[in-house]
Formats: sequence, structure tokens, C-alpha cells
Amino acid sequence: MSYRIPIGPYHPALEEPYKLELVCDGETVRDAVMHIGFNFRGIEYLAERRNYLQGITLVERVCGICSNVHSLSYCQAVEQLNGSAPPERALYIRVILAELERLHSHFLWAGVAAKLIGFKTIFMACFTLREKVMDALSAISGNRVNYGMNCIGGVNRDILDPQAILNILDEMEHEITRTIIPIFLEDRTVASRCKGVGILTKEQAIAMGAVGPLARASGVPQDIRRSAPYGAYDRFEFSVPVETAGDVQARLVVHALEMVESCRILRQALSTLAEGPFHTPTPVGARYKVPAGTAISRAEAPRGEVLYQITSNGTEIPERVRVRTPTFMNMATVRFTVLGQDLADSPLIQASCDPCYSCTDR
Amino acid sequence: MTTTTEDFVSTLQNLGLGGDWEWKNGSWWKTPEAMDVRAITALLVLLEARFVAISATERPDKEVSLNYQWDVKGQLLSFTTATTAQHIPTIADLCPPADWVERETHEYFAVEFVGRENTKPLMTRAGDPIGINLHKEEVK
Repeated sequence: MSYRIPIGPYHPALEEPYKLELVCDGETVRDAVMHIGFNFRGIEYLAERRNYLQGITLVERVCGICSNVHSLSYCQAVEQLNGSAPPERALYIRVILAELERLHSHFLWAGVAAKLIGFKTIFMACFTLREKVMDALSAISGNRVNYGMNCIGGVNRDILDPQAILNILDEMEHEITRTIIPIFLEDRTVASRCKGVGILTKEQAIAMGAVGPLARASGVPQDIRRSAPYGAYDRFEFSVPVETAGDVQARLVVHALEMVESCRILRQALSTLAEGPFHTPTPVGARYKVPAGTAISRAEAPRGEVLYQITSNGTEIPERVRVRTPTFMNMATVRFTVLGQDLADSPLIQASCDPCYSCTDR
Repeated sequence: MTTTTEDFVSTLQNLGLGGDWEWKNGSWWKTPEAMDVRAITALLVLLEARFVAISATERPDKEVSLNYQWDVKGQLLSFTTATTAQHIPTIADLCPPADWVERETHEYFAVEFVGRENTKPLMTRAGDPIGINLHKEEVK
């Protein structure tokens, strides 16, 4: 007999609000319906009633994990409209912030996944490492979550001591390769919970427009840093890890390998940090008017592609600010990944998509 | 990417997406006078292009400009069209990820996507007003 289980909106798998209705035959999931919008704040509406300077602060609050990528994408779109090019040093600093943010997001995700797997030692190891990244972000920006680093035409703060960040990186990379990678790639307990579970095929990933590590774990080799480089990404060597199994374990592997690649990018950026100013000479003020036009900026957030489209009518207030976040595209795939799976695995499967409902609902 | 302009435009033409393309402000833009969104969607789905988003903007004539964005080989294509009496054909049946995007566009800009079986609330709740992003204060 089929029965329907409503899960959420309070703490369905993660500590963010969404609701999932699972239709089950016994312990097997036969269908899933997702309900979102519990965290809807009307960010797009609000951004169209604030000047460009206020908009940066606002969009950084879209997400409490990948806050930097939102202000980065917003600033990049405005820079396209006003034709300004940030100095080389600013582009490097933007990459450093983006990769540190990716690391702390991936550690958070890996920790949550480990907790759901039941491997709490790894949960604690991941969160200890995440603290180191957040210490580095705090040392650079003065903040742990909303960094306030991006401005139109560059960044607000310089990195004065790259060697200190490199030292943190040495310690972190050692721990990633010594602990995280072997556990996620080779441990039998992890494999028994994750291998063959929650499969998203390559065809499904493409058809559903999946992005980021979720898509790459299903054999779709897309990464905006590689396909449409922004900032200083085209100056650095890095690989885009791709797995083909499409299951939870493949997502673990992709996330773990991406941590290593982030360290690789950070090492290059910090050791070759360009000299010179870190923002354009004239800061954009509250009454700054942006030339009329429409611009689109994309960036590779920790969860995948973020898109900002900004339309200016030539005034100091944007006419339209469109925000498309990665989880908005990825969460609809849960319907496929939970089908035919054990009910008990559904929290892990949902979490393996690395969802963020703050981003999704905006 | 501006460095690959000629190659990429040539690729688009080989894919059957001919016409005048312009790289500007982060995307390849094409603004056809009359665009069959369903025909273009069917072609792009066939080519395994990745649907990215629909971005709506309110126009002074009360219609809504809709910018359909697709990723083709890592490059972003933008097709711009507009509603007629706030209506436009749906593409959600051809392209499943457009379902949520159309539903939120309906809520934000009161656009009716013709051909949908239903347009359930996504960000709002049943009974809430639609058109919440429209700049018209009279919208209830």
C-alpha cells in the first residue's frame, strides 16, 4: 500500500526550511514532490529599490555560506555596464576569496554528509578544518560570513600577508590528503552508505539543467571557471574533477577532489599575487549612475553556476536585478535521485545535492 | 569569450542557430523580432544545451520582456522576446527545469505561461497576490 510522508519544512534533512512529500511503497520511495519558498525574502524586489552601493550589501545576504560569490557576480555585472576593469591585484584577491569560500562550503557539506552517513569523526575533522578556513577569511576581511570584500571596481581590502594564508593552507592541505580524501575514496563504511545510492544519470543531469559538483559527479564536465573564466582564473592551472557514477559517493569524491584543486589555485594566486592597487581610483558612491544597458555575470559558486542579470536605466537604482542560484536548478533533481531508494537514505540523498535554501528562495 | 567570436558564431550557425549574434556584457545576444520560443527550445534541447534561466523585466507598455538564457558549449546565449497581453507559450513541457522558473516568473511578474497544466505557487502560497515584483503600486 502506498502512503505519503510529509517531511519538513522544519529540518527535513538540513537545518534549512523546505518540504518534501515522499510517496512510498513500504520502505521504497516511489515519488517525491518538493515545496520551497519558506525562506523567500524578495531580494530581487529589494535590490530594485536600492542604489548600486546598497545592492552589494543586500545581495551578499542572499546566502550565509557563499555570500562572497553573490557580491562578486553583482559587481562584475555592474563593471560590465560601466566599462570598468578592476586592477589585476583585485582580480587575484577575488579568486582567493572565492576559493577560500569554496573550501569552507565544501568542508561544511562534507561534515554534514559525514554526520548523515553516521561517521561523526569525519564530521568533526571537517568542521575543524572549516574553522581554519574561516580564520583565514576573517584575517583577510575582518568577517567570518559576510566578508564585505567586493566593491564595484575591485575589492575593499588588500591581502597584506599572503604567506600567513599559505601557512594555513599547508596545514589544511596536509589534513585533506591525509584524512578526508582516503576516507571518502576508500573507506568501506562510507562506500556501504553511498555507493550506488541516489543516482543521477548524466542524461538526467543535462535534462534538468543541474550545475556544479552535482552535475560533475554525473559526468557533466561544466565549470564556469573553465568555460567562461572570470576574475583571474585564466591565469591559473587547475583540474575540474568529474566522476561518472552519479551516486552519493561520486559527489563525495568530486567535493573532496575540488578541495585539493582549490588549494592548488590558492597556492598559485597567493604566491604570484599581482602588485599594484586593489581597486579603481574613484570609488563608486551612493549617487553613482550606471550607464543604461543589460549585463549578465556568471560565477562558479561552491554549489555551481550563479547568474546575475542587471538592467540599468541610467539612474542610480537598477531597473532589474535577476538572481539565479545553483540550488534552484539542482533541487528539482531530488525527484529522480530518491526514486526507488530506501526511505532511510533520503536525507543523505537530499543533502548530497549540497542544497542551500537561503540561495534558492532568495 | 570575445577571443572565440568567429569560431563560436560559426558553431552556432552550424547548429542551426543562425542570424546575427552579438557578444555584449557577458552573453551572446540575439533579439529576433518574432521568436518562436518553443521551436528554439526544442532545437536547444535536441542539441543538449543547458537551460539556465528566464529573466523577466517589466516594460513601460505593461508587457514583460523575457530573456531566455541557455548555455551552449560553455557560452551563454540570450534570446529576448516579450509577452503579448502578458501571455507567452510555456516551454516547461519541453524543458523540465523551466518549470520552477516559469512559476516564479508568474508570481513575480504575473506572466501567464500558456499551455501549462497548472501554475502552482512556488515562492508564495496559495491565495497570495501575483505580480509582486511589478513596479505598479496598484497591483494587489
